[in-house]
Amino acid sequence: MAIARAQRKLTNNSLDTGSRIQNRSLFSVIVVSLLAAVGVSIIVSVSIGQVSIPFGQSFWILVEQITGLQTGRIPADANDMFLDVIWQIRFPRVLLAMITGAGLALCGTVMQASVQNPLADPFILGISSGASLGATFSILIGFGIGGFIGELGVAAWAFIGALAAAILVLGLASIGGKTSSVKLILAGTVINALCGAFSNFIVFFAKNVEGIRSISFWTMGSLAAAEWGTLPLITAVVLTATLFFLFQFRVMNTMLLGEETALTLGINLNHYRRLYMVISSIVTGVLVCTCGIIGFVGLIVPHMVRSVVGSNHKRLVPVAILFGSLFMIWTDVFARTVITHGELPIGIVTSLLGAPVFMYMLIKKSYGFGGK
Amino acid sequence: MNLTAEHLSITLAGTDIVKDISLSVEKGQFVGLIGPNGCGKSTLLKSIYKVIKPQKGLVFLGEKDVLKSSARMISKEMGVVGQFNELSFDFTVHEMVMMGRTPHKHLMESDSLKDYDIVADALERVHLSAYADRSYLTLSGGEKQRVILARAIAQQPKFLILDEPTNHLDIKYQLQILSVVKSLNIGVLAALHDLSMASVYCDILYVIKQGEVLASGRPKDILTNELIRQVYDINCEVYTNPITGDLAIAYL
Repeated sequence: MAIARAQRKLTNNSLDTGSRIQNRSLFSVIVVSLLAAVGVSIIVSVSIGQVSIPFGQSFWILVEQITGLQTGRIPADANDMFLDVIWQIRFPRVLLAMITGAGLALCGTVMQASVQNPLADPFILGISSGASLGATFSILIGFGIGGFIGELGVAAWAFIGALAAAILVLGLASIGGKTSSVKLILAGTVINALCGAFSNFIVFFAKNVEGIRSISFWTMGSLAAAEWGTLPLITAVVLTATLFFLFQFRVMNTMLLGEETALTLGINLNHYRRLYMVISSIVTGVLVCTCGIIGFVGLIVPHMVRSVVGSNHKRLVPVAILFGSLFMIWTDVFARTVITHGELPIGIVTSLLGAPVFMYMLIKKSYGFGGK
Repeated sequence: MNLTAEHLSITLAGTDIVKDISLSVEKGQFVGLIGPNGCGKSTLLKSIYKVIKPQKGLVFLGEKDVLKSSARMISKEMGVVGQFNELSFDFTVHEMVMMGRTPHKHLMESDSLKDYDIVADALERVHLSAYADRSYLTLSGGEKQRVILARAIAQQPKFLILDEPTNHLDIKYQLQILSVVKSLNIGVLAALHDLSMASVYCDILYVIKQGEVLASGRPKDILTNELIRQVYDINCEVYTNPITGDLAIAYL
């Protein structure tokens, strides 16, 4: 009997481990296919636009530019303009889309874990409204003042606003000891309302029609600012944060179990939560000051990915980052091709696409956002 | 591993919840805390597993000063099965139990085959092997509680703290959980609410009322009509169950 039990246990264990390994290879398949999809999407998206470029040519132009080799694959009669369009305009923009998507998805995942709330997104700490206030101030008042304040661009002001709001929210939430997730969400709501009111106040008294227009454009988000010069900073910030969070999966998993359980598993959440929020607000701040406010991506990408790979951050974080990139590349393609002679602000597109997807997931039974 | 708590006093929001309680759990002993709701059992346990800082007192786990050691150090040796285990995000049962390995892992270390074996073994002990891929949030209360116990077992603790582990469970799972815990043969400190069950499983009982230890000792020695009336404010008759020979209580 003891032997039978031992045998059963053995088969059970190996069966179990077997299915786990299968799971693991499924995860690799997902990662590899997403990587491939991102690669293909880059080629396709640099070819689409006002000027259509054959995919093959786009591919070889990118290869030649990146490696510096002469492949001789580009036809001699190829349009010289193609090179400029791809290398100077579209490729930096696709890269910006990738990085922004990855960053927003990452910050959304981190925020949802940090406040243990499925409704959290990268802007929950008041970052979006803080950035808007900074930008509004800069566009409508800042330039008139001149001197040091006038020298700072809209982006810098947006960044200052974003970080100031995040610091205020974190400070407000930690008054009276421990930072709880409820306090954070409430503090975020308060600061959002306050910054929104100030922005509207400035807009209301401003006589500057052009300025007001550029503010509303800015708050709708756009990747049009993409050029090689803007990429290094944002890439460095998002990449560093990505590397950091890829190795935090254990902490982030225990975060979802709550303060007390995490402590009994040896992890003091208070410390990690604050660290994560500071890092996420820096990343979001940098993204916002480059691209404006792009909503819904950080909220919805983690949920979409969670419904496929589960809540385990070891899988969730890398897949969310890749899927965020992919999602953003295609929304941007849509944003700049849907209307001839011009482009839609990408924030509008992400919300238009995101809201129905979110609704669908809400209705669908198999993914309950944590409820039953 | 043995645990001693010396002169613990806890004040929360100006109220003295725990008043100078000392207790000890010898190696391999199953020690129960009983007492009415709000008597300070949970608070006392929380101070022992470091969630609440006591105003006064010391806690030793073996040679380690629990209150001065890091959470990580303690979590390698002490497992906790708490009262509330609701989540806002879903995990599979296997993932939940695997988290019990957290104290033994570096941040960058991935789960080894040994960890998988430990988790499979823990699931087997609580009879949930077939549930490994089920989602935690779809489980019943009793199943959830067993998953949490499996997680604590996967932690490979040398000491286990249970805070009313059988709350809201039906009788089958109450017995099952306590038997599994007993079979681990490690030191256990458990807050329990069922007196007859506590008297069957515990080697030593501490009876707590209003933050103070009213009595302590072997269940058969201390559980009397008089004591139970004093603690719970009810009339009862303690007798020996003629079928099992265990202590039983009839509430009058």
